[in-house]
Amino acid sequence: MVDICIIGSGAGGSPIAYELANAGFSVVVLEKGEDYTESDFTKDEIGVTRRDMFTPPLSEQKHIINEYKADGTFTRYDGEKSGWNFWNGSMVGGSSNLMSGYFHRLKPNDFKLKSVYGKIKDANVVDWPISYEDLEPYYDKVEKVVGVSGKIVKHKHLEPRSSTDLPYPELQTNGVTQWFDAACKVLGYESIPTPRAILSQNALGRNACYYSNFCGSYGCASGAKGSGRAALLQKCSAKIITDAFVYKLESTDKKVTRAYYYTKRGIRHSIQAKIFVVAAQAIETSRLLLNSKNKYFPQGLANSSTEVGKNLIFSAGGSGSGRFVFEKLTPQQQKELMEVGVFFNRSLQDWYAYEKNDKEYKGGTIDFLFEHQNIISRVMREVYDENGNLMWGDALAKKIKKRLTTSRVLTFEVFNDWLPTDKCFVGVDAKAKDKYGVPVGVINLYGHPHDLEVGEYLAKKSVEVLQKLGCEEIDYSISSAPPPNLVAGGCRFGNDAKISVLDKNCKAHDLENLYVSDASFMPTGGSVPYTWTIYANAFRIADVIKAQLA
Amino acid sequence: MEGCNLFAVTTPMQTLGLMHKDLFPQAQELGIKTASYMNIVFNHSRISDADKTFLKNGVKWLNEEAVKMYKKEYVKLSALQRQKVLASVTQTEWGNSFVYDVMNYMFEAMLGDSVYGGNNHEAGWKWLQFEGGKPRPKQAYM
Repeated sequence: MVDICIIGSGAGGSPIAYELANAGFSVVVLEKGEDYTESDFTKDEIGVTRRDMFTPPLSEQKHIINEYKADGTFTRYDGEKSGWNFWNGSMVGGSSNLMSGYFHRLKPNDFKLKSVYGKIKDANVVDWPISYEDLEPYYDKVEKVVGVSGKIVKHKHLEPRSSTDLPYPELQTNGVTQWFDAACKVLGYESIPTPRAILSQNALGRNACYYSNFCGSYGCASGAKGSGRAALLQKCSAKIITDAFVYKLESTDKKVTRAYYYTKRGIRHSIQAKIFVVAAQAIETSRLLLNSKNKYFPQGLANSSTEVGKNLIFSAGGSGSGRFVFEKLTPQQQKELMEVGVFFNRSLQDWYAYEKNDKEYKGGTIDFLFEHQNIISRVMREVYDENGNLMWGDALAKKIKKRLTTSRVLTFEVFNDWLPTDKCFVGVDAKAKDKYGVPVGVINLYGHPHDLEVGEYLAKKSVEVLQKLGCEEIDYSISSAPPPNLVAGGCRFGNDAKISVLDKNCKAHDLENLYVSDASFMPTGGSVPYTWTIYANAFRIADVIKAQLA
Repeated sequence: MEGCNLFAVTTPMQTLGLMHKDLFPQAQELGIKTASYMNIVFNHSRISDADKTFLKNGVKWLNEEAVKMYKKEYVKLSALQRQKVLASVTQTEWGNSFVYDVMNYMFEAMLGDSVYGGNNHEAGWKWLQFEGGKPRPKQAYM
């Protein structure tokens, strides 16, 4: 029997493995996907982004998706038939390998949304059972152990920090960021260098960023990106078993006793441990617990509250863009614009909270970045003319050449709270099974209208900046379409065992030795990408487990 | 759009190869060979059977339209006639989707890594002043 068995090796699982293994405990990590090294992470646009080489084929593993309307009716989609893909990275280190590493902390009010902003109709907003102050030391730890680069500048929504600045200097940026800063200054907005989980210099036994120009969606070939694999799992002695799909946890009425897993060839194995930690990413974590029902927990493991799977959340918001064109720029500006590889790295948090019509709103974060360099995708965006007709031949060739060599698109991404509701939750399907013969997860989706209202507000502010910059073709889309890589909830933590799955330490209320350390614990998500908070909370849980085992 | 009476008069590869030339002759002018990439597409483990079948059906439908308009299959038409067939089919929903798909794979061949057999001498990238990311793949992902 090992001390700790961790299910999933991403941002939720890897800090536990790192901390517990380095403290001398025996740790086994079960990972469904394969292991990769830096040398495996090529910039193959076709393989990585068009053939989904790091996620399972939907013909073998899929989800059922029910898209709800406000009236409670829904449309059912089969993931295989519709191509609706909620997988993010089945590999050692999980999707943290493929993240862009935009690292923002939550802010103190994110931990007490209900107390500060009040109840919102049809939304299940609650305060967290811990405060920002409880998590701050762990945010700080992530900066140093995983590695966060950038520069802290004071602004009206800057959260309290125990370290004055980030431990690694800013990554190199494109000259256009200076235009951006100047435009924001004129508008009275506070431009912030975006903190990144990317090393700007050799450190922590890893190489610095080499500005490959292909960061988000791709694995990092230098190890600069702070994936759970590069930053943590490669720095500890935890045993990682790949090709291990955990389909069931066995328990008594008090303890989890064994994890069962299949290899891709269908061979069944099991493992015993003193403590089990589930970190399979929010949807799959709830699915595993629901599929692990037994005589003690007939509604699913750790589910006496019937809250497992409930209050699934994503990041609300959307994205937009504007185009810089050579015709409006000097030769020097044109040269600056087309410099590739270096980052844009600018964010706005001026409206993390705002007032509108005498009402206080929780707002969000806007990250600005250049359009991804994937060239096939960029070309395919040009194949329709302004009337929506498909183009080809000389007319298309001229358009592509001009657009890709004499203009460049600046994009923005809006992150605001996806309010938890009764209509957004995880279940398991009664009929559909994956290639292992295990019932697939059902993702029930609903975006609260309030999310769209806030997203629109933030997008319009972003548009003002693009206008001031002289961009053309400015456009944006705010919708309730869920970003599959920004998912949380389903096992919310809380002090009341009747209405929450986990206690404040992310241990299941129902069981003595079961923890959940991915983003499932989050009752509300804040208005930033989740990864930094997942890392920080997992480091916090690691301390709790160390104390329990001591 | 069901049914087809044109089995075996032309292979999908013949038609698709000629479509590549008709849709984006610039690739050929740059010395980029894209037609053989369709073999990769039809044998790829991560392209669904439904998508492959749609491509094959699209070839049949395109040829049906060619016969309807000019009494000959697509590969036997003049360049001008082929352009008119393409213009005609893209007015339909299936035709628009089919031609879009064909262009999508054609641009993958033209602008993907040359390890996939296209983008010869990185001519596609050079045309667009684009530098591929490094490290480059050592083998095609199939």
